[in-house]
Amino acid sequence: MSTAQSPQGEQTHPKSVPGYAEVYAELKKIAENAQTFQRLVTTDARIAQTPKHVVWTLNKARLFRYVPMVPEEKRHKLPLLLVFAIMNRPHVLDLRPGHSFVEYMLKRGYDLYLMDWGIPGPEDSQLRFDDYVLDYLPRAIRKLKSTSGSPQFNILGWCLGALISTLYASLRPDDGLKNLILLTAPLDFSDKTSGGFVRWASARQFNADRIVDTFGNVPGEMIDYGAKALKPVENFVGSYLNLWERIDNPKVVEAWHAMNTWVRDIIPMAGGAYRQLINEFFRENRLIEGTLVLRGERVDLSRLTANVLNVIAESDHITPPCQSEGIVDRIGSRDKEVFRVRGGHIGIMAGSGAEKNTWPHIDSWLAARAD
Amino acid sequence: MNQANENFNPFDPTGAMKNLRDESMDAWAKMMTELVNTEAYAESTGAALDAWLSSSGPFRKLLEATMVHTLNNLQLPTRDDVITLAGRLTNIEMRLDDLDARLDELLREIRAASGGRKQRVASQEPAS
Repeated sequence: MSTAQSPQGEQTHPKSVPGYAEVYAELKKIAENAQTFQRLVTTDARIAQTPKHVVWTLNKARLFRYVPMVPEEKRHKLPLLLVFAIMNRPHVLDLRPGHSFVEYMLKRGYDLYLMDWGIPGPEDSQLRFDDYVLDYLPRAIRKLKSTSGSPQFNILGWCLGALISTLYASLRPDDGLKNLILLTAPLDFSDKTSGGFVRWASARQFNADRIVDTFGNVPGEMIDYGAKALKPVENFVGSYLNLWERIDNPKVVEAWHAMNTWVRDIIPMAGGAYRQLINEFFRENRLIEGTLVLRGERVDLSRLTANVLNVIAESDHITPPCQSEGIVDRIGSRDKEVFRVRGGHIGIMAGSGAEKNTWPHIDSWLAARAD
Repeated sequence: MNQANENFNPFDPTGAMKNLRDESMDAWAKMMTELVNTEAYAESTGAALDAWLSSSGPFRKLLEATMVHTLNNLQLPTRDDVITLAGRLTNIEMRLDDLDARLDELLREIRAASGGRKQRVASQEPAS
């Protein structure tokens, strides 16, 4: 490699060298980005960091109370219980500091409790919705009432957590539930062609009993694959491509890492509940038909009298809107509202727009009724 | 599509390739989403899953039987023993939970009663 001297006597590189330097810098950047990409895909971000403590346990289930952020005199009187689905971890409600529904509600003066169903072991393979609705949830609520000192309370249920909350609210209307918020609630399965899991589960060849008999609990990997396969290109390719393109943006990277950490944290679903979900809910639509019986008690939706806010995600491919919207005509509540949000199943609560759309509406609806 | 045309820059070949890639991805995603929502896909995946479970079932059962036999011979608890024990523990937990709830109730009543008595005593005391 030849060098030349500048008029000041300094050695300079020929014109071709900066080109190499640029290429080298670009390759170095690609290598760094690849390292960052690998780290984001294979490691866990710190999620669910809002301080909380356990107030009740039963088997794997735990009831947490979040440390309040607002003095008692400024807090809403009625506590709010968050009930998430049974086949995912509830951390998506408290994804990361600065973008957490839990943090948002605590700052607005809510006394917040979280029902964590835990991870079912082989000994829990017989657990059914009957157990979740009539054993676990009422016991947790009993403790919530004694801890908070309030005989009345509110529930926010999301996905299958909304289904469990609806069943509980219909079977125990006098338990003190004042306000019920349903998020993307899968309740009405009359339309078998609406897509989502219902379409697959309605196939004649799909045998839920054989899956449960084989595995006991349904493996988390199977549920995760099913959820991703509903939008295969977006989930298996698009998500990673989008990350690669915006890997220089720290905000995007942080958000992606937190969400991916939650998505990767897959858990099995209790076999008994899975069998019931496919056969009694998806296929036979017993809740809407009025034939659902839990431990000898028929679930009558007209007995649900709590105030209801039904939040529907317009682009939800897991719980299509038609599975949620019909419920308002069947429940006995006088005060009921349907709130439609643009977004998907998770995006409406954990996406970048949640803080501007969904959360403020939930807060304003509840604040008007939580005292 | 319109947006892609507006963003089209003839002097930026990588931009054009990127647009092409995005459009292909959109078309592919739409096609795959439609595919997985068809009756045929649902039936074929259901059949494939069922066939796999049916064929692997006997081997799984054989493995389980062998494991139980081995554990019994080694005088070690089997999976069923552990499951039974866990069920009993959960029942004990439920009883403890009921006791805890009764204790909470008693404490509340005691506090309410002692609060009421204090109020009565205070109201009976002569004003000095």
